[in-house]
Amino acid sequence: MSLLTITHLKVHFPTQDGMVKAIDTIDLEIANSERLGLIGETGCGKTVLGMSIIRLLQPSTKIEGEIWYKGKDLLKLSEGEMRKIRGKEIAMILQNPTTSLNPVLKVGDQIAEAIQLHQGLDKRAAREKAVEMLESVKIPSPDKRANEYPHEFSGGMKERAMIAMGLACNPSLIIADEPTKGLDVTIKMQIVKLLKEVSRRKSMLFITHDLGVATQICDNIAVMYAGELVEYAKTEDVFKNPLHPYTQGFLNSLPNMGLKPIRGMSPSLIDLPSGCRFHPRCDHASAKCTIEHPPMVEIEKGHSVRCFLYT
Amino acid sequence: MIEDTIAFLKGYKNSVIGLVGLGILIFFVVVAIFAPYIAPYDPHEMYKPVRHPNSDHLLGTNHIGQDILSELIYGTRVSLFIAFISSIIASYIGTSLGLIAGYFEKFGFFFMRIVDGFLAIPRLPLIIVIAAFMRPSIWNLIFIFVFFGWPFTARIIRSEVLSLRNRPYVDAVRMLGAGNFYILCRHILPNVIPLVVVQLIMEASHVVLAEASLSFLGLGDPTTKSWGMILHYAFEYPTIFISDLWKWWMLPAGLCITFTILSLTFIGYALEDLVNPRLRREIL
Amino acid sequence: MHKITKIATYGIIIFVILSFNFFLPRIMPGDPFAFLTGDPSTDMPVVLDAGIKAKLLSYYGLDKPLSMQYYDYIANILHGDLGWSIYYNAPVWDVLRGSLKWTLLLVGTSTVIYMASGIMLGAVSAWKKGKRVDAGLLTFILSLSSFPSFFLGLLFIILFGVDLGLFPISGARTPFMDYSTSFEEIIDILHHLLLPAATLVIAHIGGIYLLTRNSMLNVLGEDYILTARAKGLREGYIMRRHALKNALLPISTMIALIAGFMITGTILVETVFAYPGVGRLLYEAVLVRDYPLLQGAFMIITLLIIAANLAADMIYVYLDPRVKHK
Ligand SMILES: Nc1ncnc2c1ncn2[C@@H]1O[C@H](COP(=O)(O)OP(=O)(O)O)[C@@H](O)[C@H]1O
Ligand SMILES: [Mg+2]
Repeated sequence: MSLLTITHLKVHFPTQDGMVKAIDTIDLEIANSERLGLIGETGCGKTVLGMSIIRLLQPSTKIEGEIWYKGKDLLKLSEGEMRKIRGKEIAMILQNPTTSLNPVLKVGDQIAEAIQLHQGLDKRAAREKAVEMLESVKIPSPDKRANEYPHEFSGGMKERAMIAMGLACNPSLIIADEPTKGLDVTIKMQIVKLLKEVSRRKSMLFITHDLGVATQICDNIAVMYAGELVEYAKTEDVFKNPLHPYTQGFLNSLPNMGLKPIRGMSPSLIDLPSGCRFHPRCDHASAKCTIEHPPMVEIEKGHSVRCFLYT
Repeated sequence: MIEDTIAFLKGYKNSVIGLVGLGILIFFVVVAIFAPYIAPYDPHEMYKPVRHPNSDHLLGTNHIGQDILSELIYGTRVSLFIAFISSIIASYIGTSLGLIAGYFEKFGFFFMRIVDGFLAIPRLPLIIVIAAFMRPSIWNLIFIFVFFGWPFTARIIRSEVLSLRNRPYVDAVRMLGAGNFYILCRHILPNVIPLVVVQLIMEASHVVLAEASLSFLGLGDPTTKSWGMILHYAFEYPTIFISDLWKWWMLPAGLCITFTILSLTFIGYALEDLVNPRLRREIL
Repeated sequence: MHKITKIATYGIIIFVILSFNFFLPRIMPGDPFAFLTGDPSTDMPVVLDAGIKAKLLSYYGLDKPLSMQYYDYIANILHGDLGWSIYYNAPVWDVLRGSLKWTLLLVGTSTVIYMASGIMLGAVSAWKKGKRVDAGLLTFILSLSSFPSFFLGLLFIILFGVDLGLFPISGARTPFMDYSTSFEEIIDILHHLLLPAATLVIAHIGGIYLLTRNSMLNVLGEDYILTARAKGLREGYIMRRHALKNALLPISTMIALIAGFMITGTILVETVFAYPGVGRLLYEAVLVRDYPLLQGAFMIITLLIIAANLAADMIYVYLDPRVKHK
């Protein structure tokens, strides 16, 4: 059964230079206990997708479509109703822990305040729970650490604290935005292990541009390019049988696959290319690709792709 | 560059505050320029003292019989002249030094200690003390305002240059063999110009206030008419509060100062809003 | 390192101010000491009796070499000897001491009200950025703070003092009053304090308001505010607990400037309200060309501002945990 269903989602930012079509258009489902990886180059709209689920985009943003969660369309909820969902039902672990933790508040207090709010605990109990949370993300001497400020934490520790903060109120869905970015390999592996552990029996949207990390955690993977999905498959299928030229290129650019970057640059989200958005960079592009926008087609069960090569 | 200017003007046109400020300032500038044609009398000419407003003297006369309306009109000249001359010179010096201090790090460090020292000293008390020792004249005042005005600009420009200096394109130009002076003038200066303009406007409003304050304390140039000076003599007049005299002797002069500062504040605010993108960033 | 630079900066500032005070009358054109030597060409009509003249001559020691004069000057100050006031015919320090408490009362009260209200209004404005409340507050406060403090004070005197008769228009207490209780005395003092304090606050509120507003706007764009929102916290709570403390950091570094504004304002406001503080003394000294008193008052005012700077540094350390742990 699906926990979150996104249909026809469009997210546009009006700016001075024109409309930034950050998401255009996305349909996506996350099932109960599914861990879905969302991968794509920097700037393709991954963070915006996460933010639109918990509705943290600025008010001027134009959002269309529906986001169904447990029988409610999140986009239709009032601000007050939405607040009850944020942190409690759906937690987002924001990218970049260094800037996402408040520098002037103690880490323990930053975790405790959400617990106090959503679980109705008093200050002391919330504080104790916060220490427990720090322990559960394997921070040594959590008692002492809870009283420290973010700048006293290392990069990996900050990420753990962010995860603890996200998990604090036992949410059903976790959105983790690039939690391994900027960490060195050993720490990265530890965080991956931790995330795998804590997301057991939960749903997770795992945002990353690191396919290697995604394969270790996720059941399914959605590949995003310039504001839309171009391929969706089981994790192993993405590796064994990548269909979309973009996915293939992405795989080839990985360090253990030859480090061959895809030629060209990702397009501006203000003036999207006509036809298939990937055609200017695609080696297989035909005349049709430059005119017509390919639909997302399910090639085999659980494996869809947006490319004319397969239709 | 031209495109930037046009975009800038378009942005400015949308700022109500900015337009109101500009309107008021233009009014005062016109009055200042055409003062001899607008003013009914020579402001130094003496008639019957302390006259109430009448058809000859629309705002009455002061304690020695000078026409208050004419004093006001000529006062516009003095205030605006001092304000703009001082702030232009101060901005020029401050910008040059700020550019150099931002670009050459070692020099910048010591230079900023001096600037910090300058900024920690309260301006007006110091100016009062100096003005009390010096014989006040317009040029002395301008000298003092410039002397204490440039560090503000220098500081702001320096921090902007620091952030510009490490941009990739500046590095690229340097790789191509461009000299320091060329980089400063061609690639850094144009980027700080908008900030300089904002700073100049702010400085001008500080000077208007400082000049009015000094004159109010009786430290202005006694040979010229300024708004602060009108207030000074009015304030010293024994029955000023217990009669109606303040209504035409004090109020108009005070309002002139207030509106000049108001116009500069509004313009400065509108410009800053356009120039500083961090403040413009939309927030939930 | 940071601390050493700071201390050095203060040291330099104090040194510069003292030197400035020393050299100013000595390098000015038109010989400010003309009144001492009885030069008739001077435009400063100060007539001195022989006793005062002797005192001043010995204090300034103009016949000694400059380096000796400077040495004596510093030594005198360290002994609390600021010279002899011509007008009051008393030691400058004694004259100043009496008025210092009034200035401290006025500046202290105004600064507290000023900071509290300015920060609150600025925060509200930033929170409601782009909405009516923000536009209204912004226009209102920018307009209000365009009034020079002395003009605003004059208007207050006329309106609240003379027309409505609600407040006394001069002094710090009712002259020749016998207070039956100390409560009555406090009320009387507060009654006199209110208008000057209100003038100071209103004339300067624009600075702190804009500062807070800008600082708050910057903070509200930070990632940790998003984190706080992602936790489902209420906006008001986020403002108070997550944004304000961060927004105060850059403000506390501006306290030097703010103190400068306030103390500068005091000179004008005390003059307008004939409030017997150091600022009023400075004005009187200017009027009667009492240079020793003028310089003494200036020095006290500068020291007050440096003290405010020190306080600001301490507040910064308290607000920012990152500094504490270094
Ligand atoms: N508030 C905004 N206003 C305008 N454009 C935005 C805004 N937020 C994001 N964008 C644009 O949307 C695109 C997607 O951004 P993002 O989702 O952060 O990318 P990523 O996939 O790296 O997480 C980027 O091109 C970015 O510039
Ligand atoms: Mg991102």
